Amino acid sequence: MVHGRPEFTGHIEVRGLTKRFGSFTAVDHLDFDVEPGRVTGFLGPNGSGKTTTLRMLLGLVRATDGTATIDGHRYADIGNPLTVVGSALEATNFHPGRTGRNHLRVQAAVAGVPDTRVDELLELVGIPAAARKRAGGYSMGMRQRLGLAAALLGDPRVIILDEPANGLDPEGIRWLRGFLRQLADEGRTLLISSHMLSEVEQTVDDVVIIANGQRVAQGTVAELRGEPTAYVRTSDPDRLSQALRDRGLAVAPSGRGLRVTTEDLAVVGDVAHASDVAIHELRSEQTHLEELFFNLTESEEHRNRNLARPPGGAPVDLPPPSGPPIDPALLAEPAQAAQRAQSAQPSGAPDHDGDLR
Amino acid sequence: MTAAVRAELRKLFTTRLWWGMAIAVLLSGAAFAVLFAFVFTSDAVRGPQAAAAPRTDAALAKAVFTGGLQVGYLLTLSIGVLTIGSEYRHQTITATFLAIPRRGRVMAAKVVSLLAVGALYGLLSLAGAVGAGTLVLTSKGVAPFADTSIWRTLALSLLVLGLWALIGLGTGILIPNQVAALLISVAVAWIVEPLLGLVLALTDWGKSISPYLPSRATSAMLESTSGGFDGRPITQLSWWAGALVLIGYAAVMAGLGTWRTLRADIS
Repeated sequence: MVHGRPEFTGHIEVRGLTKRFGSFTAVDHLDFDVEPGRVTGFLGPNGSGKTTTLRMLLGLVRATDGTATIDGHRYADIGNPLTVVGSALEATNFHPGRTGRNHLRVQAAVAGVPDTRVDELLELVGIPAAARKRAGGYSMGMRQRLGLAAALLGDPRVIILDEPANGLDPEGIRWLRGFLRQLADEGRTLLISSHMLSEVEQTVDDVVIIANGQRVAQGTVAELRGEPTAYVRTSDPDRLSQALRDRGLAVAPSGRGLRVTTEDLAVVGDVAHASDVAIHELRSEQTHLEELFFNLTESEEHRNRNLARPPGGAPVDLPPPSGPPIDPALLAEPAQAAQRAQSAQPSGAPDHDGDLR
Repeated sequence: MTAAVRAELRKLFTTRLWWGMAIAVLLSGAAFAVLFAFVFTSDAVRGPQAAAAPRTDAALAKAVFTGGLQVGYLLTLSIGVLTIGSEYRHQTITATFLAIPRRGRVMAAKVVSLLAVGALYGLLSLAGAVGAGTLVLTSKGVAPFADTSIWRTLALSLLVLGLWALIGLGTGILIPNQVAALLISVAVAWIVEPLLGLVLALTDWGKSISPYLPSRATSAMLESTSGGFDGRPITQLSWWAGALVLIGYAAVMAGLGTWRTLRADIS
């Protein structure tokens, strides 16, 4: 089923995109592509330049250098852009005295869309009655749904959502996930920004991860995860690992057990049985994407420039806010770490040559 | 472009601002018309103290029918400030520029819609003023429509309100804080600038400047005479020169605002 205007396929291309605010480089020579029919997660910690990038793509912020185009066109050069690109940037941008429905009617007037479409969309995002009340009293979740309806108004090929899951309850997030999947299956291009990988991990096909305005990773979720592995704990690790290697599997010790590069747990079990060792634990192990995300975005050269660094130059040992196991050494002297953070001074952007490309 | 104008008008008519303003414009038009009609036809303004009071039927009618316009243009000035100020304040400007990335077109649509809204409020003001004023004037034996130049004044009063709305539009952009923009623009237009005009008129060199102030140009445009501190009528421009001066102010303010809007990053 063809949606929107046929002259657009919905390919987003970002090349060398740069934005400097004075001496501060918010976005630094960013390159990435977003393909139609897929949900692409645009990830990075707070302050990494995601919103600025999206705003440059949408012609709201002027790029210092580089280009961001949709099928080769700058956003501002697309006639009636709402029918090509739908976007929801912040959940807050509604006039509190105007009803949600009227907010959409204002946009509909520009896009040349009839008011009946407005009511259809309100039905679709599940707020038909509430949208007739003034937006000042809306909850965050309602604002998100209204923003989503606004983005879909012109039946666009490309849908760009900035932190769409913010403020949604778990039921709402599940609904959103299914909804986005359906939109992508219809052949649309979806670009979803988030500062939480776990929030979009189950939704996205591709990810672009940025830190300090630079790309640190791009690929499919499967590529980022790497090869599937199995974790096995046994009575005789040496014997089992030898037997597994004889079967041509890569084995590495992992904690008290072994990590085997395979997604087939049965093979591991069979080999253990054949070599007469007892299995204490056997499970498939996935690379924890959240951990990967932090490794990428919090590694020394990509450490958040918004966090302070001590005068000596060594980064402050701030543990990541959540997610992966925290090195106990970091927690040894929290008071000292806090003290150092307080006396720390901001410094220039660090070097970036360790990008995963 | 018509779609952009329609969107701008929908923005205005989907909040409560417009009908509150409409009631105020209608009432002030009627109230000032009645007040001026009684005052100017009373014996109190027959003495030499009131040389600036209108004497002829035509002058009386103009003064009475446009009596509420000073309040009216302060209101449309506020609408002009709010039309852009609330977009920045509530960040709806993002949605506006996403729908129409050619920002010059957005600003042009705002100008057209504000002129239309000014004319609409002008009609409301005149409905109140002409309705109530005619009753009082005819009861006092004045024939308000005897001189046809009254129609020109009535037509121009529609333009006056639109032009002041454009001055507000420019102010709303140049002063980014909406509340500050509102307070400053109303205070200047209502108190500072008219007083400045009167003070300037006392000096020899100021006499040649004061007719070009916005409020003086507005009176000139409407051909309503007003008195200075000494009670004598202040010299003012002819109606067309006053109109050109006020159009000039509106164009400069809206132009400056547009120029700033075209360049700004919206974040």
